[in-house]
Amino acid sequence: MGSRMERTIGKQVKLPFRRAVQISLRGIRIRFGRSLVTVSGVVLGIAFLMSNLTGQLIKKAIAHERAQRDTVNMMLSLVRAEVGSVSGKKIAVAAFGALTEADRLLLEQVVAAEPESVRGFGVGAPGVTPAAADKVGEGAALLLVLGEAGRSEIPLSTLATGMRQRVALDSQEGRVYAGTKDSSLRREPFFGKESDEQIQRMRQQARAERFRTFWIVGISLLVTVLGVANALLMSVTERFREIGTMKCLGALSAFIRTLFLIESSLIGLIGSLVGVVVGALLPLIAYGFAYRFDLVFGSMPYGLLFASAGGAVVVGTLLAVLAAIYPANFASRMVPASALRSTV
Amino acid sequence: MIKGHNKTADMSKRLQDMLAGARDSAKGSYVIRAVGVRKVYKMGDSETHALRGVTLDVHRGEYMSIMGPSGSGKSTFFNMIGGLDKPTAGKVYIDQVDIAQLDAYELAWLRCRKVGYIFQMFNLIQVMSCIENVMLPMSFAGKDSEEARERALEILDLVGLRSRALHKPAEMSGGQQQRVAIARALANSPDILLADEPTGNLDLKTGEEIIDLFSHLRDTLGITIITATHDLKMLKASDRIVWIEDGRLARVSTPEEANIHLEEVH
Ligand SMILES: Nc1ncnc2c1ncn2[C@@H]1O[C@H](COP(=O)(O)OP(=O)(O)O)[C@@H](O)[C@H]1O
Ligand SMILES: [Mg+2]
Repeated sequence: MGSRMERTIGKQVKLPFRRAVQISLRGIRIRFGRSLVTVSGVVLGIAFLMSNLTGQLIKKAIAHERAQRDTVNMMLSLVRAEVGSVSGKKIAVAAFGALTEADRLLLEQVVAAEPESVRGFGVGAPGVTPAAADKVGEGAALLLVLGEAGRSEIPLSTLATGMRQRVALDSQEGRVYAGTKDSSLRREPFFGKESDEQIQRMRQQARAERFRTFWIVGISLLVTVLGVANALLMSVTERFREIGTMKCLGALSAFIRTLFLIESSLIGLIGSLVGVVVGALLPLIAYGFAYRFDLVFGSMPYGLLFASAGGAVVVGTLLAVLAAIYPANFASRMVPASALRSTV
Repeated sequence: MIKGHNKTADMSKRLQDMLAGARDSAKGSYVIRAVGVRKVYKMGDSETHALRGVTLDVHRGEYMSIMGPSGSGKSTFFNMIGGLDKPTAGKVYIDQVDIAQLDAYELAWLRCRKVGYIFQMFNLIQVMSCIENVMLPMSFAGKDSEEARERALEILDLVGLRSRALHKPAEMSGGQQQRVAIARALANSPDILLADEPTGNLDLKTGEEIIDLFSHLRDTLGITIITATHDLKMLKASDRIVWIEDGRLARVSTPEEANIHLEEVH
């Protein structure tokens, strides 16, 4: 570079990022009304996305909860078929491996039905008195064998020692017991395996459900991007003169671009946060009225709900930035003279 | 721009000798030189020849008025000499530097510190207060905000609006807004003030106040002032008057000659 040129024309400094954040924050605050409109575009998109996700979660949870209750009810009716009313009877419980949800619910119901006593081997649950393997069955009208493990090191006959009625209901049909089979002891599974046909149908349903979810989520993402891009384009068009003026005053193109990108990521973040809350609450309340609040709130997998919320916020913010790339580039590339001429 | 610069500077001297011809001033005293500047706007099939080859030298510290009817190309010429747009053909030198050779950073520097722009529509940023408007070019120049605030107050004092520092543009009269715009243009102590019809939206009395402020600035700060107008009454303060007609430089005169011309018309 020639020495004279260095003397007369210098290079514009790049403003620090912090300064750009300050200016765009002030811009958002000052143009609060306008920003609200842009934010509401994001809120709508993300709320739509989030309400779909939440709706899916709730539906699944309710379906699961219902299936669970059905299972437990069926188990209870089997128990009643064996002993009549549980009330006033001695019940023996043995568990191998962790209790399934249905096991736990069944146990709760049995304890709640006021039996004389519930003795348990390998079970720690409220209302259940721990007992040794050969003591657990003493005077009991029924033995319930629960838990996930497919194999037991204790012979069934040991557990049944001293039972008044030698009947065992087992939650695992295929459970294998140590020792020899005792023919005086009747062992019934709670229910048989699902048929292959049933499993096939369930798989098909799950696939259709997954496809529908993808489709809905995809559409709602598209709605979000279009909404945000549209809002940002409008806010750029509105500010042509301002952009032109800023360039006349020495703003670098890169600075204008940074300004818009920061603005849109902030708008995306705020909009997504609001959208996620709205989008999660609406279906929770709607399903709450449609079913029961305790069922909806009780069965909700909160971990998954918060994960979806986090995902939606990240997606919303990224989409807002994505949507802003075109308007921001457009704004930053404008020749100051033509930006100033516009009368918008 | 690193390679051909010295050659460009040499060439600019030769061109200057050729085109400026008889003009006797020292070369360094030209702050802006436009050489054969053309501008064609293409809109679909139609072409508008806004400038058809304008050659003009502006002396350092001079107050030049550019006269011409609406649509004659005054604003286009301002955009060219102010580095706001690129000519279709021809060259513009600011302080002997061909501005077509500047990169984005140098152009931004030029717009920030070398030239102050004033517009007919004021172009204040509506959402910012007066003082924020004045501080904006300083923040683009990287000045820290305490220093900038003090300087902004000083300049607002100079244009007589210190007490209105915290007002929004919409709360002020046209004349006051234009004075804020002048303060903003002065923020980084530019060498050149480019004012495109600065009084076009103002009544006669307010317009005259603005013109008086310009003469005052030229006298006290030694700034070069170039202003476009189509109002003959705004000419009295100028050192030279340049007449543009249909994208061409028609003639250059002094205010005295212009007055004679004015009387002849009446
Ligand atoms: N950005 C542009 N695009 C197309 N035509 C333009 C543009 N800017 C100016 N012109 C045209 O160029 C001519 C000169 O305009 P301008 O420089 O604004 O004149 P003045 O400022 O003297 O009124 C006019 O015919 C105008 O319509
Ligand atoms: Mg004009």
